[in-house]
Amino acid sequence: MMAAGTPLWLDLVLRAERVVGSRVEGAVHSDTYFDLVTEMNRAKRFLTGTVEGISKRIWHTANLPAGTDVRRVREQLARMERRIVELSKELDAQRETLETER
Amino acid sequence: MPPSSPDLLSRVNVDVERSLLRARNGLRYLRGTHRPQLGVTPKDVVWQRDKAQLWRYRRETPARYAQPVVFVTSLVSRSYILDLLPGSSSVEFLRDQGFDVFMVDWGIPDELDATNSFETYVDEYLPRAIDAVLRATGADGVTLVGYCLGGVLALLYSAGHDARVRNLVLLATPMDMSAMGPMVAALHEGRMEPDQLLDESGNVPAELLYSGFFMMAPTTAVAQNATLLQNLWNDEFVTGFQAVGQWTRDQVPFPGAAFRQVVHDFIRRNVLMLGRWRLGGREVDFTATDAAVLNVMAKGDRVVPGAASRPVADLVGRPERREELVVPGGHATFGTGRSAFKHTLPSLAAWIGAHSDTTFDTEERHGDQAHRVG
Repeated sequence: MMAAGTPLWLDLVLRAERVVGSRVEGAVHSDTYFDLVTEMNRAKRFLTGTVEGISKRIWHTANLPAGTDVRRVREQLARMERRIVELSKELDAQRETLETER
Repeated sequence: MPPSSPDLLSRVNVDVERSLLRARNGLRYLRGTHRPQLGVTPKDVVWQRDKAQLWRYRRETPARYAQPVVFVTSLVSRSYILDLLPGSSSVEFLRDQGFDVFMVDWGIPDELDATNSFETYVDEYLPRAIDAVLRATGADGVTLVGYCLGGVLALLYSAGHDARVRNLVLLATPMDMSAMGPMVAALHEGRMEPDQLLDESGNVPAELLYSGFFMMAPTTAVAQNATLLQNLWNDEFVTGFQAVGQWTRDQVPFPGAAFRQVVHDFIRRNVLMLGRWRLGGREVDFTATDAAVLNVMAKGDRVVPGAASRPVADLVGRPERREELVVPGGHATFGTGRSAFKHTLPSLAAWIGAHSDTTFDTEERHGDQAHRVG
């Protein structure tokens, strides 16, 4: 039913959206869709891995770092930074304990 | 009956005026200028650790209630949904009802936060943040309000610590993950593994989370934009539309370690439904909290459906201290929309007020104690 004050064109758009939308939602909320997304994700990862492997060999031939090397360095840096943060937290905690004991 | 000439003239005037306003607002909208400022209620940072911050909203008068209200928000969305716009802000509403309002904001995770697990939030950040609230206010307890996944954090903290939580309010808090439907379907056993969704920072990228929310109802953008076109003359509507739109798109990365726990324990084993969870080497029993518990669900919530959050009422807190409230609206009704300020927030404020001491009561009690000591 058309809500009071809603113009005809808007009412038609809203109704059409619900007709199409409910079907689209039915499809994208189905098990088939999620299985498909899973398979597509696997395929994408396989493809990305293959391309990265090839490009890495090419860049390494020219003695240049590849994207995967940069990623690994970033991960190592993040690990180090996390360790520094943990250590400074441990130091703070020890300092607090010492101050409380005094 | 055909309209009379003055009626017709006034209608034409209104239409012309609205067309001009539509043109002006349409240009502003397309240019991206005149975007509303969000989360602007005046506040101070009273505690900080890593990216987590505790904000205290400024009051001009002393609070009427002795127990401050502390909001704990989700790990995947921005906290400003609870302080969206001046005059349309949950924290502002509660502050004006006489509460001392605080918010725990988790910040935007990056590589450094990839190892943040539920233990980080529940055992490291929340106890310190609540201590800071108690120090800042001198209160003997707090009302902890957890929203969405923030509700899980609030309940774990309340039950897992010797916590001074007087009241625990859980807004749209997911408990039964088997009832979460399409929101989590892609992460069921045999489908996507959590590690496959992490980016090089070790977190789930914000865009991926947004696309997950978008796919819940992919065509609603059409209806929303058509409604915007019709109401483009109305400045207030356009501002609200832009604010909610910005919040919806503004997801934050989900820390990898916490995401693995969500997938393996919450989604695949549905452990929250056991009423206890192993956290930080100990078992947290959800009934171990002494707080009065209010489970609040929104009727039209499609992100956390009522069926997913209803079990809170059977699993959290002592049976005689559990209450339930169903409010109109969707998942965002706790921060925005007409029903938020007409139904949801007044009901919340009334419940929290009824379960808190007034500062008058507290002063009287302290006076009595001083009298007895004297």
